[in-house]
Amino acid sequence: MVMIVCAVALIVVNIIILSVNSSRYSSYGSGRIAIFFISPFQKTVTQSVQFFKNIWAQYFFLVSVAKENDNLKKAINHAIDKNNKYREVEISNFRLRNLLNFRKTMTNQVLVAEVIGRDPSPWFKTIIIDKGKSDGVEKGLPVVVPEGIAGQIIDISYNYSKVLLIIDQNSAADALVQRTRARGLIEGQSDGRCLFKYVLRKHDIKVGDTVVSSGLDGVFPKGLRIGDVSEIIKFNSGIFQEVTVKPYIDFEKLEEVLVVLNPPKHDFVSEQ
Amino acid sequence: MTYCFYICVCLCLVIFQTTIIPHISLFNNFYDLLIPFISYLGFFRSARESILFILILGLLMDNLSGGPFGLYITTYFWLFIIVKLVVKYVHIRDNILLLFIVAAGVLMENIIFIASVFMSDPDSQFFTITIRTVIFQILWAGCTGLFFVTFFNHIHKKLEKWFNEIIAEKTKII
Repeated sequence: MVMIVCAVALIVVNIIILSVNSSRYSSYGSGRIAIFFISPFQKTVTQSVQFFKNIWAQYFFLVSVAKENDNLKKAINHAIDKNNKYREVEISNFRLRNLLNFRKTMTNQVLVAEVIGRDPSPWFKTIIIDKGKSDGVEKGLPVVVPEGIAGQIIDISYNYSKVLLIIDQNSAADALVQRTRARGLIEGQSDGRCLFKYVLRKHDIKVGDTVVSSGLDGVFPKGLRIGDVSEIIKFNSGIFQEVTVKPYIDFEKLEEVLVVLNPPKHDFVSEQ
Repeated sequence: MTYCFYICVCLCLVIFQTTIIPHISLFNNFYDLLIPFISYLGFFRSARESILFILILGLLMDNLSGGPFGLYITTYFWLFIIVKLVVKYVHIRDNILLLFIVAAGVLMENIIFIASVFMSDPDSQFFTITIRTVIFQILWAGCTGLFFVTFFNHIHKKLEKWFNEIIAEKTKII
Protein backbone atom coordinates (compact mmCIF):
# COMPACT_ATOMS: atom_id res chain seq x y z
CA MET A 1 0.00 0.00 0.00
CA VAL A 2 2.80 2.34 0.99
CA MET A 3 4.61 1.40 -2.25
CA ILE A 4 1.60 2.38 -4.30
CA VAL A 5 1.24 5.68 -2.55
CA CYS A 6 4.98 6.39 -3.04
CA ALA A 7 4.76 5.52 -6.73
CA VAL A 8 1.73 7.74 -7.25
CA ALA A 9 3.46 10.56 -5.39
CA LEU A 10 6.55 10.12 -7.52
CA ILE A 11 4.51 10.25 -10.71
CA VAL A 12 2.73 13.36 -9.53
CA VAL A 13 6.00 15.06 -8.59
CA ASN A 14 7.48 14.04 -11.92
CA ILE A 15 4.54 15.45 -13.83
CA ILE A 16 4.79 18.69 -11.86
CA ILE A 17 8.52 19.01 -12.60
CA LEU A 18 7.94 18.26 -16.27
CA SER A 19 5.18 20.77 -16.51
CA VAL A 20 7.30 23.38 -14.81
CA ASN A 21 10.34 22.62 -17.00
CA SER A 22 8.35 22.51 -20.18
CA SER A 23 7.66 26.20 -19.86
CA ARG A 24 11.45 27.11 -19.95
CA TYR A 25 14.62 25.22 -20.87
CA SER A 26 17.21 24.64 -18.19
CA SER A 27 19.92 21.95 -18.05
CA TYR A 28 21.39 23.13 -14.78
CA GLY A 29 25.02 22.94 -16.07
CA SER A 30 24.98 19.22 -16.70
CA GLY A 31 24.19 19.74 -20.37
CA ARG A 32 27.46 21.54 -20.92
CA ILE A 33 29.40 18.69 -19.38
CA ALA A 34 27.58 16.10 -21.45
CA ILE A 35 28.15 18.08 -24.61
CA PHE A 36 31.78 18.58 -23.72
CA PHE A 37 32.41 14.88 -23.40
CA ILE A 38 30.07 13.45 -25.95
CA SER A 39 30.19 15.92 -28.80
CA PRO A 40 33.74 15.14 -29.98
CA PHE A 41 32.76 11.49 -30.31
CA GLN A 42 29.56 12.45 -31.98
CA LYS A 43 31.45 14.67 -34.32
CA THR A 44 33.98 11.98 -35.16
CA VAL A 45 31.37 9.34 -35.69
CA THR A 46 29.15 11.65 -37.69
CA GLN A 47 32.06 12.73 -39.84
CA SER A 48 33.10 9.13 -40.39
CA VAL A 49 29.60 8.15 -41.32
CA GLN A 50 29.38 11.14 -43.60
CA PHE A 51 32.76 10.24 -45.09
CA PHE A 52 31.73 6.68 -45.89
CA LYS A 53 28.36 7.90 -47.03
CA ASN A 54 30.09 10.33 -49.37
CA ILE A 55 32.45 7.65 -50.66
CA TRP A 56 29.54 5.41 -51.37
CA ALA A 57 27.58 8.19 -53.00
CA GLN A 58 30.65 9.45 -54.91
CA TYR A 59 31.48 5.96 -56.07
CA PHE A 60 28.07 5.43 -57.55
CA PHE A 61 28.15 8.97 -58.82
CA LEU A 62 31.54 8.32 -60.43
CA VAL A 63 30.35 5.13 -61.99
CA SER A 64 27.48 6.97 -63.59
CA VAL A 65 29.80 9.86 -64.47
CA ALA A 66 32.27 7.45 -66.00
CA LYS A 67 29.52 5.94 -68.07
CA GLU A 68 28.31 9.36 -69.06
CA ASN A 69 31.90 10.35 -69.85
CA ASP A 70 32.31 7.32 -72.07
CA ASN A 71 29.13 8.15 -73.89
CA LEU A 72 30.15 11.78 -74.27
CA LYS A 73 33.58 10.75 -75.56
CA LYS A 74 31.95 8.49 -78.09
CA ALA A 75 29.62 11.31 -79.09
CA ILE A 76 32.55 13.72 -79.42
CA ASN A 77 34.53 11.25 -81.50
CA HIS A 78 31.51 10.70 -83.66
CA ALA A 79 31.03 14.46 -84.02
CA ILE A 80 34.73 14.97 -84.82
CA ASP A 81 34.57 12.21 -87.40
CA LYS A 82 31.44 13.72 -88.91
CA ASN A 83 32.96 17.18 -88.84
CA ASN A 84 36.09 15.88 -90.52
CA LYS A 85 33.99 14.24 -93.22
CA TYR A 86 32.07 17.49 -93.79
CA ARG A 87 35.31 19.41 -93.89
CA GLU A 88 36.75 16.95 -96.39
CA VAL A 89 33.60 17.26 -98.50
CA GLU A 90 33.83 21.04 -98.26
CA ILE A 91 37.48 21.08 -99.35
CA SER A 92 36.74 18.56 -102.07
CA ASN A 93 33.78 20.67 -103.20
CA PHE A 94 35.96 23.78 -103.34
CA ARG A 95 38.63 21.93 -105.31
CA LEU A 96 36.17 20.42 -107.76
CA ARG A 97 34.39 23.76 -108.24
CA ASN A 98 37.76 25.28 -108.98
CA LEU A 99 38.44 22.51 -111.46
CA LEU A 100 35.00 22.94 -113.01
CA ASN A 101 35.47 26.68 -113.38
CA PHE A 102 38.82 26.08 -114.99
CA ARG A 103 37.25 23.47 -117.25
CA LYS A 104 34.67 26.04 -118.41
CA THR A 105 37.44 28.44 -119.37
CA MET A 106 39.15 25.83 -121.51
CA THR A 107 38.14 25.53 -125.11
CA ASN A 108 39.59 22.05 -125.37
CA GLN A 109 37.80 18.87 -124.45
CA VAL A 110 39.03 17.76 -121.04
CA LEU A 111 38.59 14.74 -118.81
CA VAL A 112 38.72 14.87 -115.03
CA ALA A 113 40.93 12.20 -113.45
CA GLU A 114 41.85 11.33 -109.91
CA VAL A 115 45.40 10.72 -108.74
CA ILE A 116 45.53 7.20 -107.32
CA GLY A 117 49.25 6.54 -106.93
CA ARG A 118 52.67 8.09 -106.97
CA ASP A 119 56.10 7.05 -108.13
CA PRO A 120 57.72 4.48 -105.82
CA SER A 121 61.04 6.29 -106.10
CA PRO A 122 61.70 9.83 -104.85
CA TRP A 123 64.06 10.38 -107.79
CA PHE A 124 61.37 10.27 -110.46
CA LYS A 125 58.19 12.30 -110.52
CA THR A 126 55.24 10.43 -111.95
CA ILE A 127 51.66 9.84 -110.86
CA ILE A 128 49.06 7.24 -111.75
CA ILE A 129 45.57 8.49 -112.66
CA ASP A 130 42.31 6.56 -112.82
CA LYS A 131 41.58 7.20 -116.50
CA GLY A 132 42.95 5.16 -119.36
CA LYS A 133 42.43 3.99 -122.89
CA SER A 134 38.75 3.21 -122.25
CA ASP A 135 38.15 6.89 -121.40
CA GLY A 136 39.85 8.14 -124.54
CA VAL A 137 43.23 8.89 -123.00
CA GLU A 138 46.20 8.57 -125.31
CA LYS A 139 49.94 8.62 -124.86
CA GLY A 140 51.36 12.14 -125.08
CA LEU A 141 48.23 14.02 -124.01
CA PRO A 142 48.81 17.02 -121.73
CA VAL A 143 47.61 17.01 -118.14
CA VAL A 144 46.65 20.30 -116.52
CA VAL A 145 45.15 21.73 -113.34
CA PRO A 146 43.75 25.22 -112.58
CA GLU A 147 47.18 26.31 -111.30
CA GLY A 148 48.84 25.37 -114.59
CA ILE A 149 50.56 22.55 -116.45
CA ALA A 150 50.93 19.31 -114.50
CA GLY A 151 52.55 16.93 -116.97
CA GLN A 152 52.08 14.57 -119.85
CA ILE A 153 50.70 11.05 -120.28
CA ILE A 154 53.61 8.67 -120.87
CA ASP A 155 52.01 5.29 -120.42
CA ILE A 156 48.45 3.99 -120.64
CA SER A 157 46.58 0.88 -119.73
CA TYR A 158 42.89 0.16 -120.30
CA ASN A 159 41.70 2.00 -117.18
CA TYR A 160 44.76 3.82 -115.84
CA SER A 161 47.55 6.06 -117.08
CA LYS A 162 50.96 7.20 -115.93
CA VAL A 163 51.68 10.94 -116.00
CA LEU A 164 55.19 12.35 -116.16
CA LEU A 165 55.10 15.54 -114.09
CA ILE A 166 56.84 18.67 -115.34
CA ILE A 167 59.17 18.60 -112.32
CA ASP A 168 60.67 15.27 -113.48
CA GLN A 169 64.13 15.55 -114.96
CA ASN A 170 62.99 13.80 -118.14
CA SER A 171 60.19 16.29 -118.71
CA ALA A 172 60.40 19.29 -121.03
CA ALA A 173 57.94 21.90 -122.28
CA ASP A 174 58.30 24.90 -124.54
CA ALA A 175 57.56 28.05 -122.58
CA LEU A 176 57.79 31.81 -122.60
CA VAL A 177 57.92 34.64 -120.12
CA GLN A 178 54.49 36.28 -120.09
CA ARG A 179 55.81 39.86 -119.75
CA THR A 180 58.65 39.88 -122.27
CA ARG A 181 57.73 36.85 -124.43
CA ALA A 182 61.26 35.46 -124.01
CA ARG A 183 61.23 31.83 -125.08
CA GLY A 184 62.94 28.81 -123.58
CA LEU A 185 62.53 25.23 -122.52
CA ILE A 186 61.17 24.24 -119.12
CA GLU A 187 62.88 21.17 -117.66
CA GLY A 188 62.34 19.51 -114.31
CA GLN A 189 64.92 19.34 -111.54
CA SER A 190 65.39 16.97 -108.65
CA ASP A 191 64.61 19.67 -106.07
CA GLY A 192 61.02 20.08 -107.28
CA ARG A 193 61.70 23.27 -109.25
CA CYS A 194 62.15 23.74 -113.00
CA LEU A 195 64.97 25.07 -115.07
CA PHE A 196 64.08 27.53 -117.83
CA LYS A 197 66.77 26.67 -120.35
CA TYR A 198 68.02 28.26 -123.55
CA VAL A 199 66.78 31.75 -122.71
CA LEU A 200 68.94 34.31 -124.47
CA ARG A 201 70.99 36.64 -122.30
CA LYS A 202 69.62 39.70 -124.04
CA HIS A 203 66.08 39.04 -122.81
CA ASP A 204 64.93 41.03 -119.83
CA ILE A 205 63.70 38.63 -117.17
CA LYS A 206 63.00 39.54 -113.55
CA VAL A 207 62.38 37.46 -110.45
CA GLY A 208 58.62 37.03 -110.09
CA ASP A 209 57.88 37.01 -113.82
CA THR A 210 55.25 34.48 -114.86
CA VAL A 211 56.27 31.70 -117.21
CA VAL A 212 53.53 30.25 -119.42
CA SER A 213 53.38 27.51 -122.02
CA SER A 214 54.09 28.68 -125.55
CA GLY A 215 52.11 25.94 -127.25
CA LEU A 216 54.94 25.45 -129.72
CA ASP A 217 55.88 22.01 -128.41
CA GLY A 218 52.66 20.64 -129.84
CA VAL A 219 51.73 19.10 -126.52
CA PHE A 220 50.56 21.75 -124.07
CA PRO A 221 47.92 24.36 -124.97
CA LYS A 222 49.28 27.90 -125.24
CA GLY A 223 49.06 30.34 -122.35
CA LEU A 224 48.78 27.92 -119.45
CA ARG A 225 50.69 29.01 -116.38
CA ILE A 226 53.76 27.03 -115.31
CA GLY A 227 55.38 28.99 -112.52
CA ASP A 228 57.18 32.17 -111.62
CA VAL A 229 60.86 33.01 -111.99
CA SER A 230 62.61 32.45 -108.67
CA GLU A 231 66.28 32.87 -109.61
CA ILE A 232 68.29 34.26 -112.52
CA ILE A 233 71.98 33.60 -113.11
CA LYS A 234 73.75 35.47 -115.89
CA PHE A 235 77.18 34.01 -116.56
CA ASN A 236 80.02 36.19 -117.83
CA SER A 237 80.25 34.12 -120.97
CA GLY A 238 77.69 32.23 -123.01
CA ILE A 239 74.64 33.29 -124.92
CA PHE A 240 72.07 31.90 -122.49
CA GLN A 241 71.08 32.81 -118.97
CA GLU A 242 70.11 30.28 -116.30
CA VAL A 243 66.61 30.83 -115.00
CA THR A 244 64.99 28.81 -112.25
CA VAL A 245 61.21 28.59 -112.15
CA LYS A 246 59.11 27.67 -109.14
CA PRO A 247 55.97 25.83 -110.33
CA TYR A 248 52.59 27.12 -109.17
CA ILE A 249 51.37 23.60 -108.57
CA ASP A 250 52.04 21.92 -105.26
CA PHE A 251 52.71 18.47 -106.69
CA GLU A 252 52.65 16.88 -103.24
CA LYS A 253 49.00 17.86 -102.90
CA LEU A 254 47.82 16.97 -106.38
CA GLU A 255 44.54 15.04 -106.11
CA GLU A 256 42.56 15.71 -109.29
CA VAL A 257 43.83 16.61 -112.74
CA LEU A 258 42.39 17.38 -116.17
CA VAL A 259 43.54 15.46 -119.20
CA VAL A 260 43.26 17.55 -122.37
CA LEU A 261 41.81 15.14 -124.90
CA ASN A 262 42.18 17.29 -128.00
CA PRO A 263 45.29 19.42 -127.62
CA PRO A 264 45.93 21.95 -130.40
CA LYS A 265 48.02 20.19 -133.01
CA HIS A 266 50.44 22.28 -135.02
CA ASP A 267 50.37 21.51 -138.67
CA PHE A 268 54.01 22.30 -139.30
CA VAL A 269 53.91 21.09 -142.89
CA SER A 270 51.12 23.45 -143.93
CA GLU A 271 52.70 26.30 -141.94
CA GLN A 272 55.87 25.92 -143.96
CA MET B 1 52.25 -21.27 -100.95
CA THR B 2 55.63 -19.54 -100.90
CA TYR B 3 54.89 -17.69 -104.10
CA CYS B 4 51.44 -16.70 -102.81
CA PHE B 5 53.14 -15.25 -99.75
CA TYR B 6 55.65 -13.40 -101.91
CA ILE B 7 52.92 -11.98 -104.14
CA CYS B 8 50.79 -10.85 -101.19
CA VAL B 9 53.68 -9.22 -99.36
CA CYS B 10 54.97 -7.46 -102.46
CA LEU B 11 51.52 -6.18 -103.44
CA CYS B 12 50.99 -4.82 -99.95
CA LEU B 13 54.42 -3.18 -99.94
CA VAL B 14 54.05 -1.64 -103.41
CA ILE B 15 50.57 -0.30 -102.71
CA PHE B 16 51.63 1.02 -99.31
CA GLN B 17 54.65 2.66 -100.86
CA THR B 18 52.81 4.35 -103.74
CA THR B 19 49.58 5.37 -102.05
CA ILE B 20 49.97 5.75 -98.29
CA ILE B 21 53.58 6.78 -97.73
CA PRO B 22 53.41 9.86 -100.03
CA HIS B 23 50.63 11.25 -97.85
CA ILE B 24 52.62 11.01 -94.62
CA SER B 25 55.08 13.86 -94.34
CA LEU B 26 57.16 11.96 -91.78
CA PHE B 27 57.97 9.40 -94.46
CA ASN B 28 58.90 11.93 -97.14
CA ASN B 29 62.34 10.40 -97.45
CA PHE B 30 61.41 6.81 -96.78
CA TYR B 31 63.35 4.12 -98.57
CA ASP B 32 62.13 1.50 -101.04
CA LEU B 33 60.32 -1.07 -98.90
CA LEU B 34 61.14 -3.85 -101.32
CA ILE B 35 64.84 -3.61 -100.41
CA PRO B 36 64.31 -5.40 -97.06
CA PHE B 37 62.24 -7.98 -98.91
CA ILE B 38 64.97 -8.63 -101.48
CA SER B 39 67.49 -8.77 -98.61
CA TYR B 40 65.26 -11.31 -96.89
CA LEU B 41 65.10 -13.45 -100.02
CA GLY B 42 68.88 -13.26 -100.46
CA PHE B 43 69.54 -13.97 -96.82
CA PHE B 44 67.09 -16.75 -96.08
CA ARG B 45 65.79 -18.21 -99.33
CA SER B 46 67.36 -20.15 -102.20
CA ALA B 47 68.37 -18.49 -105.47
CA ARG B 48 66.35 -20.96 -107.52
CA GLU B 49 63.19 -20.08 -105.62
CA SER B 50 63.70 -16.30 -105.61
CA ILE B 51 65.44 -15.17 -108.78
CA LEU B 52 62.42 -15.30 -111.10
CA PHE B 53 60.27 -13.54 -108.58
CA ILE B 54 62.87 -10.80 -108.13
CA LEU B 55 62.97 -10.19 -111.87
CA ILE B 56 59.17 -9.98 -112.03
CA LEU B 57 59.15 -7.64 -109.07
CA GLY B 58 61.75 -5.42 -110.75
CA LEU B 59 59.65 -5.42 -113.90
CA LEU B 60 56.56 -4.38 -111.94
CA MET B 61 58.38 -1.54 -110.22
CA ASP B 62 59.93 -0.38 -113.48
CA ASN B 63 56.46 -0.15 -114.95
CA LEU B 64 55.14 1.84 -112.03
CA SER B 65 58.08 4.23 -111.88
CA GLY B 66 58.92 7.05 -114.22
CA GLY B 67 62.60 6.16 -114.26
CA PRO B 68 64.46 4.52 -117.15
CA PHE B 69 63.17 1.01 -117.78
CA GLY B 70 65.31 -1.71 -116.19
CA LEU B 71 66.50 0.35 -113.27
CA TYR B 72 64.61 -1.61 -110.63
CA ILE B 73 65.36 -4.96 -112.28
CA THR B 74 69.07 -4.09 -112.24
CA THR B 75 68.97 -2.90 -108.65
CA TYR B 76 67.04 -5.84 -107.27
CA PHE B 77 68.98 -8.42 -109.25
CA TRP B 78 72.40 -7.15 -108.16
CA LEU B 79 71.29 -6.59 -104.61
CA PHE B 80 70.12 -10.19 -104.46
CA ILE B 81 73.42 -11.47 -105.95
CA ILE B 82 75.46 -9.36 -103.49
CA VAL B 83 73.44 -10.58 -100.52
CA LYS B 84 73.89 -14.18 -101.67
CA LEU B 85 77.66 -13.66 -101.99
CA VAL B 86 77.85 -12.02 -98.57
CA VAL B 87 75.93 -14.92 -97.02
CA LYS B 88 78.17 -17.42 -98.82
CA TYR B 89 81.49 -15.89 -97.84
CA VAL B 90 80.87 -14.13 -94.54
CA HIS B 91 79.30 -17.15 -92.82
CA ILE B 92 77.64 -14.97 -90.23
CA ARG B 93 73.91 -14.72 -89.95
CA ASP B 94 73.32 -12.17 -87.28
CA ASN B 95 71.10 -9.12 -87.04
CA ILE B 96 73.90 -6.57 -87.41
CA LEU B 97 74.89 -8.04 -90.76
CA LEU B 98 71.25 -8.01 -91.81
CA LEU B 99 70.86 -4.38 -90.80
CA PHE B 100 74.04 -3.50 -92.65
CA ILE B 101 72.83 -5.33 -95.77
CA VAL B 102 69.50 -3.44 -95.84
CA ALA B 103 71.22 -0.07 -95.35
CA ALA B 104 73.83 -0.94 -98.00
CA GLY B 105 71.04 -2.06 -100.34
CA VAL B 106 69.29 1.30 -99.94
CA LEU B 107 72.57 3.11 -100.61
CA MET B 108 73.20 0.94 -103.67
CA GLU B 109 69.74 1.62 -105.06
CA ASN B 110 70.19 5.36 -104.59
CA ILE B 111 73.60 5.32 -106.27
CA ILE B 112 72.18 3.45 -109.26
CA PHE B 113 69.22 5.85 -109.50
CA ILE B 114 71.35 8.99 -109.17
CA ALA B 115 73.79 7.60 -111.74
CA SER B 116 70.92 6.97 -114.15
CA VAL B 117 69.64 10.52 -113.66
CA PHE B 118 73.09 11.92 -114.40
CA MET B 119 73.54 9.60 -117.35
CA SER B 120 70.28 10.73 -118.93
CA ASP B 121 71.04 14.40 -118.29
CA PRO B 122 74.73 15.16 -117.61
CA ASP B 123 73.86 18.83 -117.02
CA SER B 124 71.61 18.09 -114.08
CA GLN B 125 72.62 19.66 -110.81
CA PHE B 126 73.54 17.85 -107.63
CA PHE B 127 71.57 19.41 -104.80
CA THR B 128 72.04 19.18 -101.07
CA ILE B 129 68.50 17.82 -101.03
CA THR B 130 69.82 14.78 -102.93
CA ILE B 131 72.40 14.02 -100.24
CA ARG B 132 69.84 14.67 -97.52
CA THR B 133 67.37 12.27 -99.16
CA VAL B 134 70.02 9.53 -99.37
CA ILE B 135 71.13 10.04 -95.76
CA PHE B 136 67.56 10.00 -94.48
CA GLN B 137 66.77 6.86 -96.46
CA ILE B 138 69.82 5.07 -95.03
CA LEU B 139 68.91 6.18 -91.51
CA TRP B 140 65.35 4.95 -91.97
CA ALA B 141 66.70 1.67 -93.34
CA GLY B 142 69.04 1.38 -90.36
CA CYS B 143 66.16 1.98 -87.95
CA THR B 144 63.44 -0.14 -89.53
CA GLY B 145 65.09 -2.49 -92.06
CA LEU B 146 65.88 -5.21 -89.57
CA PHE B 147 62.33 -5.16 -88.28
CA PHE B 148 60.92 -5.72 -91.77
CA VAL B 149 63.33 -8.59 -92.59
CA THR B 150 62.64 -10.30 -89.26
CA PHE B 151 58.92 -9.80 -89.78
CA PHE B 152 59.00 -11.38 -93.27
CA ASN B 153 61.03 -14.31 -91.96
CA HIS B 154 58.75 -14.85 -88.98
CA ILE B 155 55.53 -14.70 -91.00
CA HIS B 156 56.91 -16.94 -93.73
CA LYS B 157 58.03 -19.57 -91.21
CA LYS B 158 54.65 -19.48 -89.46
CA LEU B 159 52.83 -19.86 -92.77
CA GLU B 160 55.07 -22.72 -93.87
CA LYS B 161 54.53 -24.50 -90.55
CA TRP B 162 50.79 -24.01 -90.76
CA PHE B 163 50.70 -25.18 -94.36
CA ASN B 164 52.80 -28.27 -93.58
CA GLU B 165 50.49 -29.14 -90.69
CA ILE B 166 47.46 -28.93 -92.95
CA ILE B 167 49.12 -31.17 -95.54
CA ALA B 168 50.17 -33.65 -92.86
CA GLU B 169 46.61 -33.80 -91.50
CA LYS B 170 45.18 -34.34 -94.95
CA THR B 171 47.73 -37.10 -95.63
CA LYS B 172 46.75 -38.82 -92.36
CA ILE B 173 43.07 -38.69 -93.28
CA ILE B 174 43.79 -40.25 -96.67
